[in-house]
Order: sequence, then structure tokens, then C-alpha cells
Amino acid sequence: MELSYTPAEEAFRLKARAWLAENAPREPRPVDPYEAGKFDRAWQRRLFEGGFAGLSWPKEYGGAGLSLFEQVIWYEEVSRAHAPGLNSLSITVNHAGPTLIARGTEEQKAFHLPRILRGESVWCQGFSEPGAGSDLAALQTRGEIVGDEIVVTGQKMWTSYGHVADYQELLIRTDPGSKRHKGLTWIICDMKAPGIEVVPVPNMMGEHHVNMVFYDEVRIPIANVVGGVGNGWSVAMSTLSIERVMSFLGDQIELLEKCDRVFALARQTRLESGKLACEDDDIMRRLARIKAQALATRAMTLDNLSQLNKGGEAGAEGSVMKLFVTTATKELASIVSEILGPDFIEYGTDRTSNRWTYDFMWAWVLTISGGSSEIQREVIADRILELPRAR
Amino acid sequence: MDLSLGPDEEQIIDSARQFLTRMLPVSRLHGHAGPALSLSDVRLQAVEMGWLAIALPEELGGLGLGPIEEMLVFREIGRGLGPTAILPTMLAAHAAALAQSPLADKLAAGEVGCALAVPARGATDGDLTRVRLYDHEGATCALISGKDETLLIDIASLPLTFRPCLDKSVSMADADLSGAPILAKVPGKQIRRRGVLALAAMQLGTAEAVTAMIVDYAKVRTTFGKPIGAYQAVRHACADMEVRCMAARAQAIYAAIALRDELVDADLMLDAAFALALEAAVRNTDDNIQLHGGIGITMEHDAHLYMKRAQVLCHWFGSESSALDRIARASLATAASEAEHV
Repeated sequence: MELSYTPAEEAFRLKARAWLAENAPREPRPVDPYEAGKFDRAWQRRLFEGGFAGLSWPKEYGGAGLSLFEQVIWYEEVSRAHAPGLNSLSITVNHAGPTLIARGTEEQKAFHLPRILRGESVWCQGFSEPGAGSDLAALQTRGEIVGDEIVVTGQKMWTSYGHVADYQELLIRTDPGSKRHKGLTWIICDMKAPGIEVVPVPNMMGEHHVNMVFYDEVRIPIANVVGGVGNGWSVAMSTLSIERVMSFLGDQIELLEKCDRVFALARQTRLESGKLACEDDDIMRRLARIKAQALATRAMTLDNLSQLNKGGEAGAEGSVMKLFVTTATKELASIVSEILGPDFIEYGTDRTSNRWTYDFMWAWVLTISGGSSEIQREVIADRILELPRAR
Repeated sequence: MDLSLGPDEEQIIDSARQFLTRMLPVSRLHGHAGPALSLSDVRLQAVEMGWLAIALPEELGGLGLGPIEEMLVFREIGRGLGPTAILPTMLAAHAAALAQSPLADKLAAGEVGCALAVPARGATDGDLTRVRLYDHEGATCALISGKDETLLIDIASLPLTFRPCLDKSVSMADADLSGAPILAKVPGKQIRRRGVLALAAMQLGTAEAVTAMIVDYAKVRTTFGKPIGAYQAVRHACADMEVRCMAARAQAIYAAIALRDELVDADLMLDAAFALALEAAVRNTDDNIQLHGGIGITMEHDAHLYMKRAQVLCHWFGSESSALDRIARASLATAASEAEHV
């Protein structure tokens, strides 16, 4: 049992730190949803040139081929340098790429993987529908096989970055009589294909990053199917298990940094009583509890990765981490609202007017998207506690 | 980097668990079943298991293991509602050996027991006039561990004011230790750190035990024709209990390694482990009673024993709030020094 990193890992940290100091963008990510997309592509391109694109991807596919702990170190350094996350490229690099690597054909890999790494293509996820969010298997968007094409009609919902995406991981029902997990197909959809309409769904913060996507007889070559017709559920689940284990790593590591920013805020903000927030026992204890949880988040992450590193299988740990981190983040945001008092309600039309208040509202995005807290508790009850199922 | 337990650690857990189940089953606390051991028998058994000197260097008669192994043993003692007196006696054996006191051998051999002394409410660190004693029955000395030093004090002929304790397996008394002979003195806070870690481990074990208890019950107890574990009101509460355990467990392991390696942030890691373990124990023992329903508030059930243990241990090395205050102070100091840098 050991908390230190190997000399090679420490050398990697120094390399990452030096590269980030030199290359991380100094300007903030634009608020405009289209400009933000360009910013993300440019950052991905720079990561690619620096050899830091596709951190977890094997080297044979052009990835950085980092070990689990090197990825932790990378995210620690990104947090330290205040460098941007992948944002609109997150689905692309962390879901689409790994799914193609696991289940795609050689042609699909050869075409898409280099484009993803170079920041030339953005992917969005077409899973959720108006009637299929937490209950994904209820999805109804139809795909009719006609010759060597699949003709898609229906609607997707909550499609993050659909407005800037080139491709979509699209999950459709290709067997019309099928129910639930059977009869689904995972297909690569070109977002510029005729019959696709992307409609923005502005969020309560006043910004636009999610969309509705409508499909009116969109023709997709059957060669775009990944993992075979009818195997969509298992292909989609291979993405989700990757998502749950690794894609929250940045958020997990970021929580400590966020917590320390609130301690800094408390040092300089006066409460209604006239005393500084850092002199208020109740606020300080609530904040200290989140700090303890942030430290535990780090410990749990390292513990999980230690098990995986020894050849353990990824189980429901991702659900535990997602529930724990997002719940803590939400509590942290509510502590900030108490510290800021009347300044908290000063908010214009987007994040530039008040980042703290924006983050307060963003916390709901965290506890709802990617499987709500209630769904994560169900997963823990089923898979870790093995309680009898209600469903 | 490796936080996972190896086969040696798993073996320590297994043997501790087996010993406690066989020799000191939870049923003993209901006043029936199981072989009844006297306090001195328990000490001798603990010696047999190597628990009193687990982390002492071999040249001082110990097993030469470290905070990790110590943490794992106390977690099992917490899980099985084992004898709490092992904690102060273990710390005393450690302190006496470091102070090269002749008492060290007797403590390590289980010939004498040690109570835990903490400043009474409102008394300051270092004030010996008003002290609360835990597990003084069968003990001839008391260990009081402040932030600057740890003292071993002779209580053999001291007048004590007995107090009834919520947890009937723990004896409790008030005393004035100011005139009593000091048997050994260890400067610094290394003994206190070990105590804090061991206590966090006991609270973690308590939290884990009641989580397992309610999860097992939720699988078999039925209402409205379904096991209660099929209802989300129960499932989600159980999931939250499990997550509290996981956080407290990972942080306790992290803190134990940080302590072993004397890392600069070991105190912060320890305070976080302590706060999380106390919260997990208090909240999980509460939820366990609630989710059991009526049977959960009866004397015959184990649920109240765990709740009472968790509540009593919250007073042994300061409250959860005191640990949170230290975390806040450390974090504010870091924020201040970073502000100066900018």
C-alpha cells in the first residue's frame, strides 16, 4: 500500500505541467455556443500536437496510451493549471472513440479515430428521447432497413453540443416489434444528412448547449452500424461503463480545487452580521465537511483505480463516484449562496455575469444528467447491495 | 500508488473477525450466550492476537506492523462491538514503550489495563483537574493525549465519581487527575494521531456493520407482499449508507498510509477520515433503527447497541465539529498563503 507515484509517473507529471504552462489557453472559453465549439476544437488540436490527445486510447490508435494513474496525474495538472476541459469534445474523445475502438470495424476506426484525435470532428450522443431519459430502454426512434440503408424517423432529446457536432452516436429501434433492450442498433449518424433538424433547448442559466434533434426519414448507410444490427444495447452499455469509470475523473479531481476556491471566497466576504464568512462556525463546518468529502473522493478514486490496476473489473464504482461527487458539488454551491447573500441573486443572462450563481445552477445538470442521483442509488442498490429489484 | 489491501491485510481482517465472533460475540452484550470473558481475560486474548503491540517496533516487543494494520484491527473491533478498552490499553503500551517506562511490559502483556481520559466538557487541553474517564474498570492507569503531549497517569488509588454510560459495555467516571502520579510522558502528538485513527476505524466498522444489518433485513422482511428492499424509500437510504461507508473507508486507508509515511498533510487526512467516520457511524446507526421499524427500538435487537456505541465514541477524541474546525483552519491557512503568493 503506497501513496507515492513511481519516478516515471513523476517525470510524466513534470512533462505535463511544463506543457500545460506553455500551451493552456489563457483566454476564457467563449460563452457563445458556436464560438465555444471552435475553442474546444482548437484546444483538442493543440492537445494532439502535444501528444496529449486520447489519454486512455491505446497508442496503436494514435492515443496517448496513458496508464490509469498517469491519467489521474494529467487531470490533477489540468486542475492546477486551470486549463480547460474537453467540453464539447468530451463525448467525442471519452465515449465515441473508445466505443469505436471496442466495437467498430477497421474502416470505421481508420476513418474516424484520427479525425477525433486531431479535433476535426465533434460527436454528440443520441440516446435520450422525450419519453426515454432515465429509462433509456424505452426509446422509440425507428430505423427501417431499406436495402443497404437504414431510414431513421423520430426524435432525440438532451443532445449536448448537437449544434456543433459532425457525427452522432445514434441509438435506434431497428426491430419494429421489439421491446426494451432488444432490437436496438447503434449507428454513426452524419449530422449534416438531409432530414435532420437540430433545435436548441436553452437552459435556465440562459445558455445553449443541449438540443432536440428531429429525424425525418434520414438515410444512413448500413455500413455505419457499430457492433451489428440488433446489438445496440450492448454497444451503448460499453460506452456507459467507460463513461462511469473514467469520464468523471476530471470532476472528481476538480472538486478539491473548487472547495479551496470557496475557502478563499470565505476569507474576503462579509455576512449580514458584519463578520467574515470564515469566522462563521456553521458555514465553516459545512464547508470543511465538503473538503473532507473532496479528500475522500480522491481516496476513493485512487482506491478504485488501484483495484482496476490489479486486474479488477469495473463494477458499479462509477455510480458511487457520480452520486458522491455531484451531491458534494451541489452542497458546495449552496454554501456559496449563503456566503454571498444578496450578491448571489445578481445574475444577468449568462455565466459572465456571476460565475458562482451559474455554478449553483449547473450543479443540477451534474446531479441529473448522465444518470440522475436517484438512478445511481438504484444501481448501487442492485449491483453493490444486491437488494431485491422493484422493477 | 496502490490503496488496495493485499493478502496480508486481508488475513489480519479475517483473523480479527473470527476471533471476535467466536470469543466475544455481539450476543454477549444482551447478557446471555457465548463464553463470558472477564476484562483481564479479554486483555490476555488481545495480547494473544498481538493487538496491544501491533504497531510497536519489534525491538520494543511489538509486531513491527504499522498504522494500517492497527486501523484494520480496530475497524473489526468496531464492526463486532468488541471491547473498547483495547484502544486506550494499546495506546498506553505504545506510549510507555516510547517513554521507556517499566509499565510498558506489563501493559503489552495484558497484566494491567488502561482507561482513556479526556478533558471534561469546558476544560481546556492540558487541564487535569476535570477529566472524564472511559473504561476505567479493570484499569490501573489512564492515558490522556492532548495536542502537545501524552501522559500516563496512575489512577489505582484515585477517588472516582462513577457515571452510568449509555453503552453498557463501557464504564465511565469523572475524576481529578491533577495530583495523581504521572507514570510516563511522551511529547508530541504521535500517540494522539494513533488514537484518532483507531477511533475513526472503530466508527467505520460500526457504520459498516449496521449497513450490512439493514441490507440483510431488507432482503427478507416483507410488507405489502414485497421485501422492503424492493421499495425505493428503503433502497435509496441503504445506498446512501453504503456510500458513506465507502468514503469513510477509502479516507481511513489513505490517512493510515499518510501516517505511516509521515506525509506533511497526514493531520488533514486524519481529520477528514475522523469526521467522515463519525458522521457515517452516527447517521448509519440512526438510519438502521429507522429502517428496521418497531423491532429496531427494542432492547432485544442489536440496532440500539450500535447506536449507543457510535454515540459514546463520539466523545473519545473530540467531536466531529472539532475535526471540521481543524480542517477549516488548515484550508483557510492554505488559502491565505496562496493569496499572498498572488
